[in-house]
Amino acid sequence: MAEFHAGGEGRTDAWVKLYGQAVYAGDVRVPGMLYGALVRSPYPHARILRIRTEAARSLPGVHAVLTGEDVRYGTYGRRVRDMPVLARQVVRFAGERVAAVAAESPELAREAAALVEVDYEPLPAVFDPEEALRPGAPRVHEAPWTYPGAVTGPEDPPNLQSRRVWQHGEEVEAVLARCRYVFDETYFVPAAHQGYLEPHGCLAWWKPDGSVEVWASNKSPHRLRAQLSACLGLPPDRIRVMPLYVGGDFGGKGSPMDVPVCVALSEATGRPVKLVLDYEEDLSCTNPRHASKVRVRLGVDGEGRLRALDVRAVANGGAYAAFKPAEHVNLNGFGEAGNTYRIPSVRIESLIAYTNTVPRGHMRSPGSLEANFAVESTVDAAARALGIDPLEFRLRNVLRTGDLGTLGEPWVEARGEEVAQAAAAALRESEPQAPVGRDGGRWARGVGFAFYCRAAHGGTTEVALLPQPDGSLVVRVPFPDQGGGQHTVVRNVVQRELGLPAGFVRVEQADTSQLATDSGVGGSRVSLTASAAAASACAELRRRLEEEGLAQLPVQAALAELARRWPQEVVRASVSVDEELWVNSVCVQAARVAVDRDTGQVRVEELVTALDVAEVLNPASHRAQVEGGVVMGLGSALLEELVLEDGRVVSTNLHDYRLPSVADLPRLRVVLVPGGKGWGPHGVKPVGELTNVAVAAAVANGVADAVGVRVRRLPISAEEVYQLMHPREGKA
Amino acid sequence: MRPLEYVTPHSLAEALERLAGSDPSETVVWGGGTALGPLLRRGLVRPRVLLGLERVAGLQDLSLAEDGLRVGALVRLADLSRSPVVRGSLPLLAEAAGRVGNVRVRNAATLGGHLAHADPAQDLPPVLLALDAQVRLESVRGTRTLPLERFLVGPLQTARADDELLTEVWVPAAAFGRRTAYVRFTPRSSQDYPTVGVAASLRVDADGVCREARVAVGGAAPTALRVPAAEAALVGGRLTRERCRDAAAQVESAVDPWDDTRGSARYKRAMARVWTERVLEDLASEA
Amino acid sequence: MTGAVVELWVNGEPVRAAADGAEFLAEFLRERLGLVGTKLGCGIGVCGLCTVWMDGRLVSSCLVPVAVAAGRQVWTVEGLVALAEGRVHNPPPGLPRPELVRAVHRAFVQCEGLQCGICTAGQVWAVCALLSEEPVPPEGRVREFLAGNLCRCTGYQGILRAVQQASEEWAQRAAP
Repeated sequence: MAEFHAGGEGRTDAWVKLYGQAVYAGDVRVPGMLYGALVRSPYPHARILRIRTEAARSLPGVHAVLTGEDVRYGTYGRRVRDMPVLARQVVRFAGERVAAVAAESPELAREAAALVEVDYEPLPAVFDPEEALRPGAPRVHEAPWTYPGAVTGPEDPPNLQSRRVWQHGEEVEAVLARCRYVFDETYFVPAAHQGYLEPHGCLAWWKPDGSVEVWASNKSPHRLRAQLSACLGLPPDRIRVMPLYVGGDFGGKGSPMDVPVCVALSEATGRPVKLVLDYEEDLSCTNPRHASKVRVRLGVDGEGRLRALDVRAVANGGAYAAFKPAEHVNLNGFGEAGNTYRIPSVRIESLIAYTNTVPRGHMRSPGSLEANFAVESTVDAAARALGIDPLEFRLRNVLRTGDLGTLGEPWVEARGEEVAQAAAAALRESEPQAPVGRDGGRWARGVGFAFYCRAAHGGTTEVALLPQPDGSLVVRVPFPDQGGGQHTVVRNVVQRELGLPAGFVRVEQADTSQLATDSGVGGSRVSLTASAAAASACAELRRRLEEEGLAQLPVQAALAELARRWPQEVVRASVSVDEELWVNSVCVQAARVAVDRDTGQVRVEELVTALDVAEVLNPASHRAQVEGGVVMGLGSALLEELVLEDGRVVSTNLHDYRLPSVADLPRLRVVLVPGGKGWGPHGVKPVGELTNVAVAAAVANGVADAVGVRVRRLPISAEEVYQLMHPREGKA
Repeated sequence: MRPLEYVTPHSLAEALERLAGSDPSETVVWGGGTALGPLLRRGLVRPRVLLGLERVAGLQDLSLAEDGLRVGALVRLADLSRSPVVRGSLPLLAEAAGRVGNVRVRNAATLGGHLAHADPAQDLPPVLLALDAQVRLESVRGTRTLPLERFLVGPLQTARADDELLTEVWVPAAAFGRRTAYVRFTPRSSQDYPTVGVAASLRVDADGVCREARVAVGGAAPTALRVPAAEAALVGGRLTRERCRDAAAQVESAVDPWDDTRGSARYKRAMARVWTERVLEDLASEA
Repeated sequence: MTGAVVELWVNGEPVRAAADGAEFLAEFLRERLGLVGTKLGCGIGVCGLCTVWMDGRLVSSCLVPVAVAAGRQVWTVEGLVALAEGRVHNPPPGLPRPELVRAVHRAFVQCEGLQCGICTAGQVWAVCALLSEEPVPPEGRVREFLAGNLCRCTGYQGILRAVQQASEEWAQRAAP
């Protein structure tokens, strides 16, 4: 194990992961544990008439078979608590949990689940969000406004999950009416799965003393504890969420998901129960991205200046709102529409509807990709229609430092122009790939740009420092490292603040009983809050060393002495950083694409990502976040769609739901534009949800440049482009 | 607990006996498991016995003789793609085998299993159709040899009787030395099944006249499909653009695709035409 | 337990198992033997999380029924680590050389070839197999070989850099 501490280089978790010793939810083993499996509804909307569990119960080795009637817990959710632990009387989407089994082995649990018989009476269902919002549509819930945390009321359409409006400047209709040009376009972004490769899993143990221990593939342990507390009716201090690695999140691992049902199985059997989904279940029954239809009206004056932007989005929220954490239970990324430009009049409305489909949750930069694809495509279309070079058109309108943001934000800076020039310069340096042999005429080439800007957000977290007798320091943090590198950020900050050599700082994830507070990983906030808390804890530690008269000793000796004098010494610091900081990051992406004229196939030959950075606390992880985001953006742009038919997910495996492989990637070029103003003592700018957003618009704009067709639907499939290029054949 | 036995007979006779005496829902032939494995995992097939052929002598042989190339049913796709014998005699087969699935799939999947699975979107059926391949089926009742196009009956359906084993694939020497090509059109990801796959082999004489032609498509009909009308459009004349276009039009009208995540039926039909034309034009321009 | 009992070799040690028809090698390694370094992802052989070495080849352990693994040599990430640490005395032929595994490990650390870590064991197996076969593979070959090991975090760039670095180090060492 010595190698885990060797050298200051590399991630804190690199060796433990390379050695296969990092423990994820599915890896937890507790003596006496049972395995859970779920029975799911095949119907998108149905009344449950009868459930027969006798055959399942009679299998030797089956310890419990539970239905909704057996569970006395409340509903659960991240904000709106509208999801039952197991369906009662009615199922609202195909894939909803109807019964749960605990048995001696995973195979036996699945076998038993298959023996549970359920009689259903199918009910009228609604799958499309616009239909769902029309009067007379089948109701997904009878009175959704009565759920705890609901943000709608009885006066709203009965299938409304959330409505949010952002508005700034003069009334938008009036300005649009005065604009010389109004571009009115509608775009569609389909449902998508976050694509984490570790399916959801958890282990729950209802202990004889009435306390509950939980291991879960969840990125926000303290929030999970609060959500479970509300659902189970237990005080938070009776629930302990244990430290664990998370095998990818991308927005999908922030909910209780199957933990409550797992707790129910454990309570019923008196044994620890582990429940791990298979990938097919995860693809079809968890919390994928909303599908969104986005209408954009963009008003431009005679000088090519943007005057007004009206955006109206309608998103499919699925059968439950339980997986959206934001205050308005909406997708805040929609509020970013147009935010890289000076636009004096802006109105954005986002409606989310209940439908009888899989409940939707967050996916990396929720709402942002949807808004960006629609607005950046419309801006591009406007430039082309006006005969202005699209990059020049953007630069003419780009937000500059000193400008108020589109919603009146007092940004500390706005570096769109600098970043765009860097992207353009990088693209100029590279040459388009030469036409190959006889295929030369086959490929039409083009270039597309898209801009994106993301705000930094604060949050709360806590860090504890535990000096060790050997002069090293253990740093306890309340959040997992789901891959983003935040544990490494903390290590680097502590090393630097205290002047400790590499290898003397070890970061550990605490369980929820060891530290008091944390807002979790998400919204790209964790590096910011964690580095602030770590710095603040280091300041506190230095103060303690002064108090003890140890400040002049070399730091390792001082820590060793402190540990000797006070063996239980723990120095804590918590921080609460304002939600709004008016710090942002700008990212400009430029795609060089080739389009096969006869097949519509789109090849991205080069993708330049230029981004605005301040100080980088962990360059290797920063780079990985940037590159990983770009490739995820390429997946959204070109490949990924969770296909639903009659309300059911039909792309239920990784053959049909394709993730990008290493063989599918273009040249990726990343250009960091230093000199930005970040937040706090370490000058942090968010990066985790920055580079995946504008790829789709950049590629679509490249396609428009290459072959003159406007793709209005993601993913940008060969067939979509082909149909646009051959409209006559398409309608045959 | 569902007991499952893996049985590995030591001779072909023993394997055939075993197969003859068993219920096909209870005993299934196990090659590399890349196609059956997922079905087994999901309980879509629930056999009690997996019949493995790895100890049967001869089924892993690759031999080149005067009459052609014989490939034992148990030859794994990775070995097929690397074999110097195959690379020398039928480079197209080696190359196509090297592009099926991923490294682990090719390490496990066998040629016999690949063909017996009869998924219409697979890569090697159209390639082997273009190479006049025949398959050998053996049972306690005797042995028969079928042209591949008669072996492939429908989606996941073949002419193999329940008591028969596919033991060998034979590519006759007549197919050697042709101009050959295979394109797998995967616009989403190189790792995807092809939207359409087009294979062709042509023999062109010194005057540039096409003497023999084979055109086959995958992913665009209930089975991989040979298109004789397209072949007829090519034989007997020079490989002009027009002939290639005619052949491609024949392919377009012969295919019978379906809608899925790789494209609509209409699109696949159009792509079968486009790629046939491209493949043929490429072959026509080879010196 | 009823049914046939099978015996196989895992990381050089003999193990016995009941051949449950619904149990696959991946689950067997993880749940019965506690070798949880091998992860389980897609269950259809696409993602590469469950990659193990079996009788000289990389396979998806999610697609191998335990019964079919009978009598075979299976090596997991735990065995690969033992190999790297010189704790394996008579490794079967075809396993990667310990120096190569160490070079790959170092390269993954230095090039940040991993993030969440769920795909890492499979990636390391694939890279070791590739460099065992071809110490200095051209980039196209690297991409083609690794295409069956998905990674959702890194965008693959760190992994490609790690392959490059390990290859350079390994080729130098392998050179006379």
